Amino acid sequence: MIETRELRRAFGGVVALDGVSLKVPEGERRAIIGPNGAGKTTLINVLAGEISPTGGAVRLAGRDITRLRSWQRARLGLAHVYQRTELFSPLSSRENVALAVAARRGPYRLFRAPPRSEYAAADAMLERVGLAGRESVVVRALSHGERRQLELAVALAQNPRVLLLDEPTAGMSPVETARITELVAGLDRALTIVIVEHDMDVVFRLADRVTVLHEGRVIAEGTAADVRGDALVHDVYLGKAVTVA
Amino acid sequence: MRPLVRWALVAAAAVALVTFPYWSAPWESTRFATTLLRDALVLAIFALSLDLLVGRAGMPSLGHAAFFGAGAYAAGIAGQRLATDQLPITLGAAALVAALLALVIGVLVVRSEGIFFLMLTLALAQIVFAIAFQWTAVTGGSNGLSGVGRPMLATLDFSSPDLMYVLVAITFVAAAFLVWGLARSPYGRALIGVRENERRMRALGYDTARLRLSAFVLAGTIAGIAGALSAYSTRFVSAQDAGLGNSVRAFVTVLVGGAGTLGGPIAGSALVSVIERVVPSLLPVELRISEAILGLVFIAFVLFARQGMVGLGRQTWLRVRSR
Repeated sequence: MIETRELRRAFGGVVALDGVSLKVPEGERRAIIGPNGAGKTTLINVLAGEISPTGGAVRLAGRDITRLRSWQRARLGLAHVYQRTELFSPLSSRENVALAVAARRGPYRLFRAPPRSEYAAADAMLERVGLAGRESVVVRALSHGERRQLELAVALAQNPRVLLLDEPTAGMSPVETARITELVAGLDRALTIVIVEHDMDVVFRLADRVTVLHEGRVIAEGTAADVRGDALVHDVYLGKAVTVA
Repeated sequence: MRPLVRWALVAAAAVALVTFPYWSAPWESTRFATTLLRDALVLAIFALSLDLLVGRAGMPSLGHAAFFGAGAYAAGIAGQRLATDQLPITLGAAALVAALLALVIGVLVVRSEGIFFLMLTLALAQIVFAIAFQWTAVTGGSNGLSGVGRPMLATLDFSSPDLMYVLVAITFVAAAFLVWGLARSPYGRALIGVRENERRMRALGYDTARLRLSAFVLAGTIAGIAGALSAYSTRFVSAQDAGLGNSVRAFVTVLVGGAGTLGGPIAGSALVSVIERVVPSLLPVELRISEAILGLVFIAFVLFARQGMVGLGRQTWLRVRSR
């Protein structure tokens, strides 16, 4: 569904991605893990079209999208949940999701209030992510956890084929983390998910396969169980995580 | 029933506004109020168009007078060169020229943001001003373009002060409805999305550069229509109409009234018009410097009431209600 070939990206002298090739088939849930600075967020941003690669290619459903801008990729079915919350802060939860729902029909509809069906779809999505009753609350007044839920609702309202999640549980309490994890776990199995995550419990709960990045390269890839047993991965990542914890 | 009442009130207010010269005649023999209101409404149309950019789409333009001036010149020059006062021709020329100019400038500026957008619009508008000021053969240069005709619609002649006012007032009502309709539409909501988080809008699949360009051209076109009305009203176009002073005047009007609201630009133009035209006559001759007074009022709003007159009104209303 989404694949990259020899993806490279350098920021000045710093090489963030050093030839990353990966292939995520339709319906697979792929976690990208690795220590800080491994290039995980850069990879997600290159997939989303927010950063252009210095070399290599990105394909979506067989189509080369390397040169497409982020809004064009979104129209092809790519949705992105950012690491930092990116919402429309003076608008209500409902309006935030409605903007995503309305994107399909485009903004060039003048003089008429947005159709009720768009708001109904937005409310249904809010209920699905556990924000029922919070429809009219403006983003500023939502808690951090609620904003992350809203981020997910906005991305899902795009009705994507591929969902890119960049640390969806960052900064969340254990209860909120569990809620988001179950929410993602319960999504349609046909949806392809690429998730960057630090929390190993979340990774092992969600991912079918895991790709381990280190210094901009793929050092291991396999099922969650394979990766857990990989000695190299232990050295560069899991081992460290254990000692830090 | 309640929306019906609201519509009836709005319609009554619009009719009262448009017919002002006729019911005010008994106590307003000098027509000063009619002229003042006419010019305030021209400023209001201009400010409403700028607020589409400043308040809705988050594009702080300091060059909006370029389109006002372009519309004024286009209406005046088209009328004189084609020897016609027909409104569809001269107003159409104004809208078309302003729209094309906004398209050209817009393509150059819409990808920049914030202070860069502000400086680029300022610089490009100064080029338009310089052309208006130097190209004497076409624009009259520093002498301005005098003898602009009052318009005609078929055989209906708008040359009387009262009918000229009516034309301005009807256009104002139409512009206010247009802005109101846009603000509540998916288009208006998308502009707010661009203002609040353009990156997220792109991630949702919106071509934000095109959205910003469309707003820029729309606002420029409306400003051009305001410019044409100004030219008809005063029968004169000055290069200053396209100058920085006029851009700043519109910007101050929007901010003092309250950006991003329908009432703000309208309230702002009322206040600015009173400061420019009424307050000086109440002061001793040495103190008749309306720019300085306007400057002080602007500073006061920036320091103490960022949300403008509309924001002050809302706060007062909430305070009264909570008592």
